[in-house]
Amino acid sequence: MTLPGGAAALNGALLEARHISKRFSGLQAVGGSDGLSFGVDRGAFVGLIGPNGAGKSTTFDLMSGVQTSDTGSVFFNGHDITRSSPDTIAEQGIGRTFQTPRAFESLTVLQNVVAGATSPGESLRWAFGRSWRNHETEIVEAAQAILRRVGLHERAAARVSDLSGGELRMLEVARQLVRDPTVLLLDEPTAGVHPGLQERLAALLQDLHSGGMTLVVVEHNLHFLLALADHILVLADGALLAQGPPADIRADPAVISAYLGGGDAA
Amino acid sequence: MNWPQLLVTVLTLGSIFGVVTLSLNLQYARGGMINFGIVAYFAVGAYTYAIFTQPPPQGLDQYKFGFGWPWWTAVIVAGLAALVFAAVTGWPTLRLRGEYLALTTFAFAEVFHSLLLNERRIGNGTVGLARVERPFGDWGPIEEKYVFAGAAALLLVATLLVFRRLLVSPYGRALDAIRDDETAALAAGKPAQKMRRQVFLISAVPVGFAGAVYAMFTTLAQPSLFTAEVTFIVWIALVLGGERSVYGVVLGTAGLVFFEEIVRAWPFETVRSAQIAASVEHVVTGLVFIAVLRYQPFQAAATRLKVSK
Ligand SMILES: Nc1ncnc2c1ncn2[C@@H]1O[C@H](COP(=O)(O)OP(=O)(O)OP(=O)(O)O)[C@@H](O)[C@H]1O
Ligand SMILES: [Mg+2]
Repeated sequence: MTLPGGAAALNGALLEARHISKRFSGLQAVGGSDGLSFGVDRGAFVGLIGPNGAGKSTTFDLMSGVQTSDTGSVFFNGHDITRSSPDTIAEQGIGRTFQTPRAFESLTVLQNVVAGATSPGESLRWAFGRSWRNHETEIVEAAQAILRRVGLHERAAARVSDLSGGELRMLEVARQLVRDPTVLLLDEPTAGVHPGLQERLAALLQDLHSGGMTLVVVEHNLHFLLALADHILVLADGALLAQGPPADIRADPAVISAYLGGGDAA
Repeated sequence: MNWPQLLVTVLTLGSIFGVVTLSLNLQYARGGMINFGIVAYFAVGAYTYAIFTQPPPQGLDQYKFGFGWPWWTAVIVAGLAALVFAAVTGWPTLRLRGEYLALTTFAFAEVFHSLLLNERRIGNGTVGLARVERPFGDWGPIEEKYVFAGAAALLLVATLLVFRRLLVSPYGRALDAIRDDETAALAAGKPAQKMRRQVFLISAVPVGFAGAVYAMFTTLAQPSLFTAEVTFIVWIALVLGGERSVYGVVLGTAGLVFFEEIVRAWPFETVRSAQIAASVEHVVTGLVFIAVLRYQPFQAAATRLKVSK
């Protein structure tokens, strides 16, 4: 694979950032001096950590098309998706959640998950017909199964405004899972989630990982993340400070001084 | 007061404007788009119908086009013309959101209105096109005005059914998702921009039909019939009816038209009292709006209708 930019391709990476950067009115949120580059292998469980404002969420935005990188490119499955729209990126198989959970307020919990799937009846051509109804049963069943999996099945008929912050987060995960993404980007999935539900989430992520899904997870809860991920990326001021297996990261002096602050979090 | 006449007028106009309000409801309540120029799409339908049915120009006529087509082909062309007009006006504007879209659609409608006023070759200028004919005669014992009211009501019901069909489908659910949270909807693969454009185009078609029927009703297509006031009335009807319910929207429009017609048809004894009534009308209209907005009777009625269904 030959790619623009000069540097050697990260072999076999499913999702790859090459010299990406983002500047917000003078502030360099992502990129550092030479742009941010990293690769995510197929089937990997990658943890993305770094202090507040390091550029983790912005990196997710650049990979999911919510924002467009100022420089460089993002590749997914060998395709350049740098300038693709977020909906086409989602359709290609990259799922994501947001740091502040998002939901469709006028829909019930179940309908939120159902709306996550792409139904044939969403195209104008099929909407007026009846054939989409056949798929609808399948989608609803899949949504119910996923709600059970994230522990929200008893809340299926609830309005989303009645959910707690933690439940909203799980709902957002469920809405992406029903799409069966190839890569799932999760932005702080444990924030505001009570310990019981966190354990459930950890089990779910492990399950997805062993099922072959590629995961990239942003977390401040290092205890949670370092136990699950097999590869860690450390971001500071928009640049990659270090990367490697969790054990190496825990021991890395640069990481400790920049972020872990003496290793108390681990 | 001539009650049967009043009711027929309310049914006819209520149906015609009901179609416009329903389309506006689709754009706003489901598509999240504020169209303050809806009257232009209505006018396009009316003028298209007039131009395609009227005879070629003769004598003092300043208009250039008259095709003398049968009424039903002209109705179809009116719907298509509104669609094309929506495509042309939507292309530069739909990227804008909220109040910006409201302003640009309003500006488009004003430009179109002044085009009608000043470009005599299209619509005879301020005089308008007065050779519009009503297509239906009496149906045996049924008088023409009842046939016509029935046809208008039929258009309303057809629009309601088509929109409902669309909105109960996954397409409607995706629209709701986009309106609720566009970023999340995009992350769920919903092509927000494309769907908004589609909604804008689809909803213009019945407005074009309604414009054609309105031209038949007034037997006239004249700029003074298509001022921004029409836009405001339709918006008020939408707010009165409660934007979330299609039945409420229809009831709201009917209620508004009924109120206007009853003030218009009241048999005043003297010119003076008619003058007073005319000036009081605005005050009363304002008071009624405040009361209706406070108590939302149409919305409540629509909710009951839905529950009992
Ligand atoms: N839309 C925006 N406009 C302006 N500045 C922004 C925007 N989004 C992010 N930033 C800034 O970019 C920097 C990186 O933000 P980002 O949200 O990516 O950090 P983060 O690593 O996710 O932080 P946290 O751990 O607090 O979530 C911050 O300084 C932030 O204020
Ligand atoms: Mg963040």
